[in-house]
Amino acid sequence: MSLLEIKNLVVENNGKTILNGVDLKIKAGEVFALLGPNASGKSTLAKTVMGLPEYKIKKGEIILKGKDIKKLALEKRVKEGIALVFQNPPALQGIKLEKLLDLISKKRSEYEEKHSNLLERDVNVNFSGGEKKISELMQVLALNPDLMILDEIDSGLDIKKREEVVNIIKERVKNGMSVLIITHQGEILEQINPNRVGVIIDGKIICESTDFRKVLKSIKENDYAKCKHCKKM
Amino acid sequence: MTMPSANIVKKCSPDFLLIDNEVKSISKSKEVLILSSIDAWNSLDWTKKYFDGKPKGGYFIWVKKQIDFPLSTCVNIASLKVKQDLQNLMVIEKGIKAKANVVCSSLKNNLSGTHKARGKLILKEGASLEYNHVHKWGSMDNVFPDYEFILEKGSSLDYNYSNMFPPKELNIKNKIICGNNSSVNLSISVNGIDSDIKIKEEVLLNGKGSQAISKLKLVGRKNSNIIAESSIIAKEKSKGHIDCQSLMIDNKSKISSIPLLVCENKDAQITHEASIGRVSEEQLNYLRARGLTEKQAIDLIVSGFLKA
Repeated sequence: MSLLEIKNLVVENNGKTILNGVDLKIKAGEVFALLGPNASGKSTLAKTVMGLPEYKIKKGEIILKGKDIKKLALEKRVKEGIALVFQNPPALQGIKLEKLLDLISKKRSEYEEKHSNLLERDVNVNFSGGEKKISELMQVLALNPDLMILDEIDSGLDIKKREEVVNIIKERVKNGMSVLIITHQGEILEQINPNRVGVIIDGKIICESTDFRKVLKSIKENDYAKCKHCKKM
Repeated sequence: MTMPSANIVKKCSPDFLLIDNEVKSISKSKEVLILSSIDAWNSLDWTKKYFDGKPKGGYFIWVKKQIDFPLSTCVNIASLKVKQDLQNLMVIEKGIKAKANVVCSSLKNNLSGTHKARGKLILKEGASLEYNHVHKWGSMDNVFPDYEFILEKGSSLDYNYSNMFPPKELNIKNKIICGNNSSVNLSISVNGIDSDIKIKEEVLLNGKGSQAISKLKLVGRKNSNIIAESSIIAKEKSKGHIDCQSLMIDNKSKISSIPLLVCENKDAQITHEASIGRVSEEQLNYLRARGLTEKQAIDLIVSGFLKA
């Protein structure tokens, strides 16, 4: 059985259809990479699965561990085992990262200790791009989800930090966590080695493959034009 | 400027402790004379000019020499329907740097107490004071603090007032009189929860080169009615700024934020900004995506707003 199954998902934001019949399955312990051009619906899919209220589901199902969660509130979905690393998290003036982590979970991870310099700072206030990603990962790891959605976690990370993040993700996957990773970059996929990759264009996943290198090569050579013509690579 | 922590309340082992209307303890040191206001009135004639008639209660603190420890006072209401009518006087002598943590609170939520406190703080020439004032009241209390700060030449005051647990009625009056080259940073944070709150703050820039920054942060929730008047009156070449920021949590509350600038000198520079906003949906949903309930998320955003 899939951990997450999305069936014919149609989603609107501000009256505009962004996702137009997305189908997707992710198994337990699987890493699924989602690629796509700008404004293709990648982040909308991530936020819709998470349950952000500005994304209105018009049609379709989001099934997590056999249960349709599309009517569940955001925080209830977290309890069901979904967590999202935001691409652009908001700044929270006056709220220390340590305080937020305490509210998320009483358990402290080694990763938090390693980046303890961030704990006394206000969440995302004057954080560099890389610090935001580390803070996001700290929060999501504290939730210990079944499905971790990473929306462009690699943007803003230097090579060393990216390697560190990849190692953490791999370790969690080894322990059974599933990952939906959204990215523009091939480098992180080389390091993570996803089980499957999909391409989303105009709000629909139009191709899936177990060979991410082949898909990346095709995108590099033909942009996303060839993806529009292929059913399955 | 930092907001005084609620931990001050928890860690209170004060130099002056008043419970209901009974003085429970007063500490002694070479550098600081602490008395009840009644004893100060009776034993130190010079204090009479600062009191508004013979006091019925309250504290007198006279910092005569440099101290290396923070002063602390606790004024508590512990019994039902207690009425406190206090006069507090604090004098910091020339050139002394001091810090005071001042806590006024109800020990229970349902005591229906009345706390009336008139205070006068005198900062002599070149003195400086960080005054952290924490209020923590029950929802049925009535509270009327009325303070005057006199800043002599070259003195400086950091005044941080925090009220995260407001009473039913809160009427704050602060008047700050600034002498030559003195400076004041005022920070007032009030979390209005089902409260009727009036704040009247007046800074008089009477001295040449005096400076004032006044920062108000207000939160209105659960049927609160808040009226905040904050004024700077510049009589000499001086600088001042008022910053009033408010956050509305629901439609049952009302916030009136009234900054006022009065300039009587062409070389003075005084400015203000005021805003009343609502909780950001983006922040709220971000915190909910971390598993916090909507109420937890709002409480956290409010506490961050008041602290920042």
